[in-house]
Amino acid sequence: MPSEIRKEQNKIPESVSGFAIFPLSLPSFPSLPKTCADAKHYLYIKPHEPAHPTALDERSLFISNVPFDANEGNLRALFADQLGGSRVASVVFDSSVPAAPTLKRWRTDAGKKDGEQRGKKRKRDEEIVAEGVVEDETSSLPKIWPGELRRSGGCAVVVFVDRGSMKGAWKEVQKVIKERREVQWKGSEGLGVERYRKHHAMKYPPREALQASINAYLSQFNRAELARNRLRAKQRSVPDEDGFITVTRGGRSGPARLEQAEKKKAELEERKKKSGVKDDFYRFQTREKRKEAENELRKKFEADRKRVEEMRQRRGKIRPEV
Amino acid sequence: MASPATKRRKLSYSDESDRSEGGYDNHDSDNLHSQGEDIERRDIEDTDDSMPDVEYTEEGGSYSIVNAENAATASPPNNEVESHTASAHAKADKTPYTRQSMSLRDGVYTSEVYKSNVFKLQVDELLQQVKPKYGKKKVPAENAMRILKSIIEQLPNRTPLSIPEARASLKSEGVVIPFPNPQPSKDAKYKLQYDRPSSINATGSYPLEIATQTEDSLSIDLVVTMPKAIFQEKDYLNYRYFYKRAYYLACIAAGIKTSKRGAFSISFGYLNGNHLQPIIVIRPSLHGDIDDFASSNFQIHILLAIPEKTFAESKLLPISNSIRPKGMEDGAETQSLSPTPFYNGSIQSDATVSAYLKLLHFTSSKSDAYKDACVLGRLWLKQRGFGSSVRKGGFGNFEWAATVALLLEPDPGTAAAVLSPGYSSYQLFKATLQFLATHNLSEYPYRLYAHDIIFPKGDNTPVFFDGPRKMNILFKMMQWSYSRLQAEAQTTIQMLSDSRFDQFESTFILKTDIVKYHYDSTLEMPLSKLQVDTNSDNYFPYLNETIGNIHKILIRALTDRVDIISFALADEDNWPISSNLPRENQRKTLLINFATNPITANRTVDLGPTAENKREAASFRQFWGEKAELRRFKDGSIRESIVWSTKNTSVLVLEQIISFILGKHLSLTFTENARFSSDTFAHLVPFGRIQGQSGIVPFVPLLNNLAGLEQDIRQLEHLPLQIRRISAADALLRYSAIEIPTSVCPNSTPASIVLQFEGSARWPDDLCAIQRTKIAFLLKLSDLLSAAKPSYVTRIGLENPSQPSQNQSYLDIITPQRFSFRLRIHHDREATLLDRQLKDKSLDGQSRESAASALAAYKRDFLQTPAHTQALQALCTRFPALSPSIRLTKRWFSCHLLSPHFSSEFIELLVARTFLQPYPWPVPSCATTGFLRTLAWIARWDWRHVPLVVDFSIGSNMNNTGLEPHSRALSTEDIEKIRMRFEAWRQIDPSMNRVVVFAATNLDNEGTTWTDRAKPEKVVAARMTALARAATDVIRSEEDNMLTRMKGKAIEPRNMGQFVSETLFISRVEDFDIIIHLPRKYSRARKISSEPQFKNLQLQQGTGELQTTLGFGPAQLFVAELRDIYGEAILWFWDSESFNIIVGLWNPQVTTARAWKVKASWNSLPTDIHRAEKKSKRTNLTDQMADMRVNKGAICNEIKRLGGELVERIEIN
Repeated sequence: MPSEIRKEQNKIPESVSGFAIFPLSLPSFPSLPKTCADAKHYLYIKPHEPAHPTALDERSLFISNVPFDANEGNLRALFADQLGGSRVASVVFDSSVPAAPTLKRWRTDAGKKDGEQRGKKRKRDEEIVAEGVVEDETSSLPKIWPGELRRSGGCAVVVFVDRGSMKGAWKEVQKVIKERREVQWKGSEGLGVERYRKHHAMKYPPREALQASINAYLSQFNRAELARNRLRAKQRSVPDEDGFITVTRGGRSGPARLEQAEKKKAELEERKKKSGVKDDFYRFQTREKRKEAENELRKKFEADRKRVEEMRQRRGKIRPEV
Repeated sequence: MASPATKRRKLSYSDESDRSEGGYDNHDSDNLHSQGEDIERRDIEDTDDSMPDVEYTEEGGSYSIVNAENAATASPPNNEVESHTASAHAKADKTPYTRQSMSLRDGVYTSEVYKSNVFKLQVDELLQQVKPKYGKKKVPAENAMRILKSIIEQLPNRTPLSIPEARASLKSEGVVIPFPNPQPSKDAKYKLQYDRPSSINATGSYPLEIATQTEDSLSIDLVVTMPKAIFQEKDYLNYRYFYKRAYYLACIAAGIKTSKRGAFSISFGYLNGNHLQPIIVIRPSLHGDIDDFASSNFQIHILLAIPEKTFAESKLLPISNSIRPKGMEDGAETQSLSPTPFYNGSIQSDATVSAYLKLLHFTSSKSDAYKDACVLGRLWLKQRGFGSSVRKGGFGNFEWAATVALLLEPDPGTAAAVLSPGYSSYQLFKATLQFLATHNLSEYPYRLYAHDIIFPKGDNTPVFFDGPRKMNILFKMMQWSYSRLQAEAQTTIQMLSDSRFDQFESTFILKTDIVKYHYDSTLEMPLSKLQVDTNSDNYFPYLNETIGNIHKILIRALTDRVDIISFALADEDNWPISSNLPRENQRKTLLINFATNPITANRTVDLGPTAENKREAASFRQFWGEKAELRRFKDGSIRESIVWSTKNTSVLVLEQIISFILGKHLSLTFTENARFSSDTFAHLVPFGRIQGQSGIVPFVPLLNNLAGLEQDIRQLEHLPLQIRRISAADALLRYSAIEIPTSVCPNSTPASIVLQFEGSARWPDDLCAIQRTKIAFLLKLSDLLSAAKPSYVTRIGLENPSQPSQNQSYLDIITPQRFSFRLRIHHDREATLLDRQLKDKSLDGQSRESAASALAAYKRDFLQTPAHTQALQALCTRFPALSPSIRLTKRWFSCHLLSPHFSSEFIELLVARTFLQPYPWPVPSCATTGFLRTLAWIARWDWRHVPLVVDFSIGSNMNNTGLEPHSRALSTEDIEKIRMRFEAWRQIDPSMNRVVVFAATNLDNEGTTWTDRAKPEKVVAARMTALARAATDVIRSEEDNMLTRMKGKAIEPRNMGQFVSETLFISRVEDFDIIIHLPRKYSRARKISSEPQFKNLQLQQGTGELQTTLGFGPAQLFVAELRDIYGEAILWFWDSESFNIIVGLWNPQVTTARAWKVKASWNSLPTDIHRAEKKSKRTNLTDQMADMRVNKGAICNEIKRLGGELVERIEIN
């Protein structure tokens, strides 16, 4: 079997669709089946060229199929120690386990944010999210996981300190593939039981830390709430592209509150119902009602017949069990 | 209000001449026939009604909807029929109840007439299905009958012979006369004689066309009527009639045997297991002659009859005696002799054969639905294991048909009949069952035209006396079989009265008499144990008497511990005509089945009469012998009593009683030959056997602790808000956890509870801020609790870090008794806020999706789980066997590594359904029956097309008016709505990627609370069904083995091994692709026994240590991360109890090679160069188009890296 795997590995192409295929040797474990002993991990690497270019692109590499235990530290070490010593500034991953907290955002807000605001630090409480606040170290809840993992087959963008480092790293990657040099993957430490034990301990943070974080959060929240109210006030007063004024909550002087409008509607309907002529007053009404009931029965029967027919098709013939 | 009436296809023929050969399955002619009538009738109706008719034509027949002004929906059928016949006088119809009236009645699709459309349509189809396809098969059978008839007609008369002469004469012809026991004395003065029969006819269900195809082989009864001349007036006495009859039968057998025409295989048998009435059984000879009717699967029975009034009927009433003691004078006083109802009934049944044939024929012409009602009754009886034969209970097809026919007769006393000829087949069926269920015929005999006959009391055999024919049609029934029939009828009536659910399957389709499903305990013993002398003249009566005795003794000894005791014994075998009467094989086994009452079954003390009550006390002492003790009880009374030991837990109280009492009264000893089995699966979960009076005893300490905690919390002062309620929300708190809660199990998970404060406007109006406020409340609560009661240990934990709008925190509380709870705060404003976000169009898609899942989580955790917990708590107290059944079923799921894919609540619903809709059986009363019936239902459940609907309120006598709207019972409309919702899901998601199984309750009409987001996935649900089917197959084959043993036959060697219940709980790991073995250290050993651990050892463990380990499960965390990381590529299974292995299946989409792409979302391996190489423009590497597939080796390596020491070994298949 191992020889087969090796043969297969020899057949591995060097690049695909512009991605360099970069094999990593993995640590070996005696408890794994023999067929997995020589397994290699494959990264797909290419200079970063996103659909919406940013200033960082020219000093970034895009890596796909990152190992589940990749993090900024061990990727930095990989380039520094085994790939010509290029210096990595930061790494952005597309996924994490556990997943990053989702912030609720408004549609318009999200569109704007994508383009010009990235990288620019805005004043915290001016960035408005649909609920809560954008948390900082003081106001966020204590973390309960030691470090993050990646979903299998995820990607990462490695940002180098400058353009030159990135070029150097990219060259080195290609060289390694050409020369079939072996590169070791050194995953993160402290996985397994140790990680879970730490997690279990972190799940129960000290009460002082909790109290402090809540206090910080609530004061930030009050500020954010003000900002949100401002936004709503704006939405109330400015018509959108179709000329409609959005109904939002808050603001008594606004056109109407959603709940009130609904309540009124139900009220009107109720009144309408009451004032109408009784529906069994005229003879034609009873006749029609009867006809309707009859049709209803007939329709029901038809539906049931169809159901039984379907049942028969599904199960075949009805036969008492033996 | 008029309603549509629909004509049902006429299934029977009105005219004898229609019954031409080959015409039985010729539907076309029948269609023409009935359609012709439709047209004719419509002409009439069109004159008085202007509504247009709608006609539907189907392959089976024509349905015509006519507007029938006289088909009033609400009026009972009788009136309807009368009014109709009055208006239909124009029609030239001989019978008062016409086909036309039938069609109108059928059209009224109300629950009155047919329960429901669906029920009726299914019944129609069933009736068609079970009709034997006469046609081709009929011809050879009828040929054979014709030949037999002419053979018998041509037999010469024989001169009268004395008994020894007759024996010798027939012996020379190779036939032994089947004289019933006791054998006739050689010096009898009377002579035996054969004269030409006065008539030969077909009788039974065949000519009436009410036979069904379900029987193994159809039998046609050919009745030969003996001439009156060969009998004397006094022949009814002392078996003389039966000796003459046996001789007559032997002569016919000899005649057929010597006849040149036709090759038949002839044997003797008993008519309905009645040893007084031998018959000839003719089977195809398998020679392939023209007379061979092998292909038809028929057998012909030759029955003997006598003309009516051959003997004085008054002498053969059930209350007279016909067997005189030896030496008694003829004219002596016979009043004092005990009556011989069975003997008399046997003679009368021979004398009334043609009378009953006439009655049934007349009835079928009088009531159109009669034949169908007979077929329905037949199926019902068959599925419940009843038959005409004495050993099958003595209530079979004939008795059913006769009962229905007689109930259609008006009773002269009250001038009203129980049934009306205008009833539909379903109404006839149901009303007959109702009659059987509600009348106690053994206490109050039913007499028709025979009010002058007084039946003696205390006899306990049921009486349904047919006056005109002077016969008790139930004469073959015994007390035990009658009470069983009643119980079955009661269950069915109860089931049919529930109009909300379709009970068609449980009424006619399901095989009900499967011992393992129907009964809780079974005693199996060989006949030899009964020590009835097979050589005795009265073997059969003695045997029946012994069984009757056992029944009586057991009923007295077991009192209310059992609901039903039933006996099962294999039928007698036929024997060749050339040999003597066979001795019964004593290796056959007798099955005694018990349906127990869970509350009382294992009560340890039986109270007898008080000491003052001398007579009763003496009888009590006599019955119980040395077991009876005189005791003084707490209330001061002094009573006779019996105390059973519970020291040896392996021997149940029930078994102790049975073995003691049978040993005492019948000197039966239980040796290795007799096996008593009861609740055979219960030992697989701790406390699986019901303890005391309820199944919830082991959970009581935990619940008491919760009550204490609640009280302590409520008493806290200075809480910022008032507490509205604290509700339980955990399987542990609804008696449904497999492992019983023990105080302080280091890594057990705390039991979840939910606390809700009174409403307040001071909460922030923002989801994330609400979560923080909850933490503030928990901090406060924790402070106050520790201050008030320092013995509580509390700490605050965090959860859901990725979903800030979902619940973020909980409070773990360890009580002084060291049970642990996990408290979360419920704030009802969350639902409104989430709902608002969900509808807010200005939010981006991702946000709204996360709001949707948060809302689902909120509803599940804070609304549905507490409601479900409360409902199950109530159910578990109502049904003592529910809790152990749930726990056993959960263990089954978890042993098959399925439990991670099913929410605990869903499994509970599956089992609750078995208890709330137990039909066709009564409510299960031990873990085993509850579990096995649940499995059987899962095996049958077509979850692709049928939703699971559970109504918790069924059977509880709660008054619906005072309840909150959501806990009301389901109405038909609700069920309809649930079905619509289910069908909508199937339309939205036909490939079942999101909702696979659908389970709604009266608390939750949504139906997806427990199963949304592919929990389980389709492949997992399919595996559940496959496993359940395999398990039911094992149960059925075990049942077959038992039946083989019952017949006294040897079991095939491969089935010899004792059935071990564990076999159902072993999973085949080889079916999976990846197997991860966890070291013992991190897996939990499955606890089967319920032995208590050393308490002092537990208490020595410090609270600090406990705090660090409480709820800590590294294996659980590991497998959760495996799921997160390899979500799409691998489907994981594990045993959530023991965590000894984790196994995975590759998603078939990732193992096959596919075109390479950048974002595959699984660890991939580029393969297979299949296109020309070219130099990449950008790199100096050779670029190729490549395929990719999953990188199994690297993934194994990753798993090891992730798990570290949690992974002992990985196997790949």
